[in-house]
Amino acid sequence: MKPEVTAADSSSRAPLVLLLLSGLAWLVIGGLLGFVASIQLHSPAFLSGCPCLTYGRMSALAETAFVYGWLANAGLALALWVLGRLAGEPLRAQNWALFGGVFWNLGVAAALAGVATGDATGFELLGLPRYVHMVLLFSYAAIAVGGLLAWWGRLRLVSYASQWYAAAALFLFPWALSIAHVMLFSAPVRGVVQSIAAGWYAQCAWTLWLAPLALSVAYYVVPKATGRVLPSYEFASLGFWCLVFVGGLTGGRHLLGGPVPAWIPSVAVVSCALLLFHVFIVLLNLRGCLTGPGVALRFISFGLAAYGAGALVDAATSFHAVAAHTQFTYFDEAQRELALYGAASAIIFGGIYFAVPRITGRAWLSGGLVRAHLFLTVAGVLLLVASLAGAALAQSRGLADPAVPFAEIFRHTRPWLAAATAARAALLLGNIALAMNFAGTACRFLNASEPASFNPPTAMEAPAP
Amino acid sequence: MFFLGLFAALLISWVAIVLGSNAQLGSQAPYYDDNQGTAFPQWMPGAAARGQLVYRDLGCAACHTQRVRRPDFGYDRARGWGERQSVARDYLYQPWPQLGLARVGPDLANLADRKPTAPDGDDLLHMLYAGSEDMPAYRFLFEERRLGSSAQRSDDALKLTGALEPGRGREVVPTARARDLVAYLLSLKAQYDYPEAVPYVAPRAEGAAPAKTPAAPAAGAAAPAKPAAPPTAGGAAPSPAPAGAAAPTPSAAPAQAAAPAGSAAPPVAAPSPTPAGTAAPTPSAAPAQTAAPAGSAAPPVAAPSPTPAGAAAPISGSAPAQAAAPAPAHTGGSQ
Repeated sequence: MKPEVTAADSSSRAPLVLLLLSGLAWLVIGGLLGFVASIQLHSPAFLSGCPCLTYGRMSALAETAFVYGWLANAGLALALWVLGRLAGEPLRAQNWALFGGVFWNLGVAAALAGVATGDATGFELLGLPRYVHMVLLFSYAAIAVGGLLAWWGRLRLVSYASQWYAAAALFLFPWALSIAHVMLFSAPVRGVVQSIAAGWYAQCAWTLWLAPLALSVAYYVVPKATGRVLPSYEFASLGFWCLVFVGGLTGGRHLLGGPVPAWIPSVAVVSCALLLFHVFIVLLNLRGCLTGPGVALRFISFGLAAYGAGALVDAATSFHAVAAHTQFTYFDEAQRELALYGAASAIIFGGIYFAVPRITGRAWLSGGLVRAHLFLTVAGVLLLVASLAGAALAQSRGLADPAVPFAEIFRHTRPWLAAATAARAALLLGNIALAMNFAGTACRFLNASEPASFNPPTAMEAPAP
Repeated sequence: MFFLGLFAALLISWVAIVLGSNAQLGSQAPYYDDNQGTAFPQWMPGAAARGQLVYRDLGCAACHTQRVRRPDFGYDRARGWGERQSVARDYLYQPWPQLGLARVGPDLANLADRKPTAPDGDDLLHMLYAGSEDMPAYRFLFEERRLGSSAQRSDDALKLTGALEPGRGREVVPTARARDLVAYLLSLKAQYDYPEAVPYVAPRAEGAAPAKTPAAPAAGAAAPAKPAAPPTAGGAAPSPAPAGAAAPTPSAAPAQAAAPAGSAAPPVAAPSPTPAGTAAPTPSAAPAQTAAPAGSAAPPVAAPSPTPAGAAAPISGSAPAQAAAPAPAHTGGSQ
């Protein structure tokens, strides 16, 4: 059997392992912060004595660590890996990626310290204090340059869907962040236009950065792991351009009924519905993942299902009649978790399970930990989303009746929020399992005394029990 | 080409959403009320502006919104959070508008103007110190200290009872951050009923309205219209131009009023604070000026007329420039 591992994998180990390792560290830290924040939702007195641990800051910390620590690091690592492999030659500009990876993580750490000590901005998905923006921008550019060089220097003229998504994510995020920086911080726009600009950025961060990072992984791994050509692949480019052109317009749905021009939420409603076309094509292309072998495909199937469900729910809740009930409730959080955790993270988990054996040349240390992670992730996400939706239902009922005081709404939502805390604990445990497994695999790789045993790729994906 | 396409996609959404709304709202001016001789909204006091930073860095917006929705959309008015919806002009002078996304706690946009009882500074300080079942206590915003030998309590010491009472010879005083935060919370109120903030009347009422309501709006319109009418008539009579100039007062309204609220606004505009006649402090929205009189001039014209007001207003408003002369004549006649 011809080994599938190429020079492109072994030569680009250093930056990829650095990014993945730091990503997993942030995943555990972010999970811990999110766990504390979720306890504070049903027991407000928990850790409320310290200003840096109040719920407002805690939730911003958890979100920042999760998005800019975990999703960014791991997504970038996999995007570089995908672009390097499809380019057909070893990754270039690796020192840039190493250098950028170090500074990106320093920037994220500084951002967390800043938020904890009172420099939070209060914008969704942009809790980063303004002074870390430049560090993050330049280190991101340093990491991304290797990927873009791989795109331009690819040996084949044709390109694949996974390359489009990866290149789009690498290219678009710095623009979105720098525009948001100018419009919100260095020359802030006035009044509610700030909220509109922040909503636009938050949506771009999801549809033009995190979602493409995840989709690039899915479009790469699914055909590789199933060994089949993607069905209806000729429509993939339509799906891609639909996401890129329409995605940025959907941010206004959170401002429905707010003090903004009415056309902004209206545009968002239309765009959310249009985006379903993109989701349809993605699912059409990648439906083979349901039948393929390997743990990577289990994660990716779950992630794609969550992606489709999330888009449907987004479109449904952008409508006036539905939003009247779901707006301002825990339903927003349920949707966010479904997207960031259920869709993006699960697909990236699948990508990690597929890529790490190829990058390091070692099989996963423990198959039990892999299965535990899969089970805890699926169960945790389902329980988290379901319990937040249940809390939202109780909250929405209470809010609609003006006679019900907030303390009573709180008592109604409390059991649901406790279930959400349990779900976060399960997710945290699963993430610790993944981090341990990854660290163990990396240690085996570093341990020179052990002879380099090569396992064929199929054996690597389905780890030895 | 690929990257140009990506860039174009990002640019399109940015230009459409952010620059589009900035063009619409970015030059919005405060509303000058002739009767009160001042413009709204008013600047935030310095302590309130500092308090907004406290609000922001503690992440209060994670649980509290500051935007009241229209009376016919949601429960906001029923909960006493405001008689009218929040509009963009309310946030004009806020350095960091805190609209928020979640209502774990109540909306605060109108906190200082709640009916029937709005909390005062002492209530808010107590709430921040004591917390409640569903809200954490913010003890770190307060300082517990020993009383001096004179044993005289500070003026601003919290009046605490029961379990919260500090030990003998001790007192709890708010820090500067707590006082700023409370000053900010007390500054949160809808200061003025802007023309674009007039409560929206559901369109289905239109069919029923002409049958019985013409008398009521007309009567309602007569009283507030009186003080404003003479200057309008005086200004409009010589030439149509000043009539056009009367429009800018509800200046940025037309653009926003293109939204559903605008179409129903004319019949309701009369009971609202009178569109002050000749006062035109804001030369904004130049191209929209001709359209603007539609909103402001229509109610006086339509109100006295026996025709179904709902349907007539938009039509009569569509040609206000030519009708400028008859319009003041009608209003003069109505007095």
